[in-house]
Amino acid sequence: MSDDQSAVIESLRKRLAEVEDTIRAIREGEVDALVVGQPESKQVFSIGGDPESYRQFMEAMEPAAAALDDKRRVVFANSKLAGLFGLELNQVRGRAIADLLHGFNGSKLVHLIEAVDDPDAAAEMQINQADGPHYFSTSAKRLQLGTTNGFAITFSDITEKKRAEAAQENERLARAVIASANEAVMVVDLDGVITHANAAAQSIHEKEVIGLSFASEFPLVFPDATGLMQSGDLVQMAADGNSIQGIEALFPNAPRVKDYLVSAAPLRVANDAIVGSVVTMVDLSQRKAAEKQQLLLMRELDHRVKNTLALVLSISSRSASGEETLEGFQKSFTGRIQALAATHTLLADNSWKDLSLKDIVAAEVAPYIGEATDRVEFAGLNISVLPRAAVAFGLVIHELVTNAVKYGALSVPKGRVRVIEDASLDSSQPLGITWEESGGPPVREPTRKGFGRTVIARSLQYTPEGGATIEFAPEGVVARIRVPREDIQEA
Amino acid sequence: MPEHKSTSTRKLTLYVAGETPRSLSAVANLERIVGEHFPGQYEIEVVDLKKNPKLAREHDIIAIPTLVRELPVPLRKIIGDLSNEEKVLVSLRLEAEK
Repeated sequence: MSDDQSAVIESLRKRLAEVEDTIRAIREGEVDALVVGQPESKQVFSIGGDPESYRQFMEAMEPAAAALDDKRRVVFANSKLAGLFGLELNQVRGRAIADLLHGFNGSKLVHLIEAVDDPDAAAEMQINQADGPHYFSTSAKRLQLGTTNGFAITFSDITEKKRAEAAQENERLARAVIASANEAVMVVDLDGVITHANAAAQSIHEKEVIGLSFASEFPLVFPDATGLMQSGDLVQMAADGNSIQGIEALFPNAPRVKDYLVSAAPLRVANDAIVGSVVTMVDLSQRKAAEKQQLLLMRELDHRVKNTLALVLSISSRSASGEETLEGFQKSFTGRIQALAATHTLLADNSWKDLSLKDIVAAEVAPYIGEATDRVEFAGLNISVLPRAAVAFGLVIHELVTNAVKYGALSVPKGRVRVIEDASLDSSQPLGITWEESGGPPVREPTRKGFGRTVIARSLQYTPEGGATIEFAPEGVVARIRVPREDIQEA
Repeated sequence: MPEHKSTSTRKLTLYVAGETPRSLSAVANLERIVGEHFPGQYEIEVVDLKKNPKLAREHDIIAIPTLVRELPVPLRKIIGDLSNEEKVLVSLRLEAEK
């Protein structure tokens, strides 16, 4: 064989090996394009279709998208995907997708691709962009690329949707807060028209207030502003950026409550622009009623203290003139002050409203009879009297008790006292109470008319019909007490 | 010594067809293998036959991707996406290095 023949054979062997290698590569999917045609008009033919159409389709897609090969490298991607990572298209081509998505997002995507056959698999990712964090809903699907089993992945920007959802949630919360507030809350726009009103606000007006002018529907009167300020001025001041806090106002047209504590504040939105004002009205009726009650009580207390001091002074001077020794004065004065204190205690326990005559008598006699309650008998007396009559009645009973203890029925063990309500009198006359002693030593009218008798006679004489008389009958003292009808508390 | 030869005596041409998956795979594999085993020793040219099919004639290319070791001679062809690293190394190592 000549050298030429050997060279030809060697060349043919090489070409055969190349053809065999080509067929192997095609069979094993290592090539995905072939050069076909005549030497002068060659063309490239892509096996499994030209991926260019995929690329063009992907570029036109709304989400950021990429086609990955079986090694999860980017075969092609659209500009949006490159932009997602702040890169150019040619910078992402051929790169492993996990390298583009660092860390946590990278592993999320790997999991998503691994679960590619699970139709429910989805992942949400947060990727930081120049204008802040963006949220993406990510999906992975199988994609046949020529001879390659690849994947298509998409990133849909759901940031706006998320923000809208968050804003909606905030809005819902804000509405719930306003709706749940006990205070009346209204939003008034820059034209002075009410745009929102919660249930509490609606309840203070007879009409549906939304859409109406605040100034004309709520013509508030501000007593402390001397007529200078009106409702319209209130919302205007708030709309101008001023906050008005807690001024008292009267709402003369309100169906129920009339006194309010009113506040107004500018309503600022996201860019700090004022779009109206928020007006709150707090029901002051209870506070006002409490204030009135307090004022009344303070006046009453003042009155009572003055009366009591006058009474104490009078008791003091009259006790002094009626007693001959300092010891005698001390005893009678202390007794009378204690009687006064006993009635005061009862009244205080009953909030200075009224007292039953029976309770007053029981309190006055208790220090003297102790356990022997059967020595004083009551008939009737379940009648309540006002404080003025209670104090006077208490003093009268005190004098009668001390007199009985010193000289009368209660000075001996067998003596008894009956306190009887006179039921025969009609309601046009003062209420009659009789103090009747029995079983005591024989009674003689005292030679000297002491202060005790003055107290008995005059204590209830603050009206012409009130008063008391005392008779020193030999078998026992009898006192007839007249309680003014006007001080009897109707049951 | 062979390893001190200038890079101009070692030349590789990779024929690809645009951005088909195997073409991209071949580019990535070649960059990796050369980078790891022959850093700075080969001059590499990538020819896109999609853009200019006539260039297939020079090395009589049929299947894409195909890598051609032009220099040093003898010329060698490796057909496929170069995912078989051992096979690539055998073809790229010079006789003296084997």
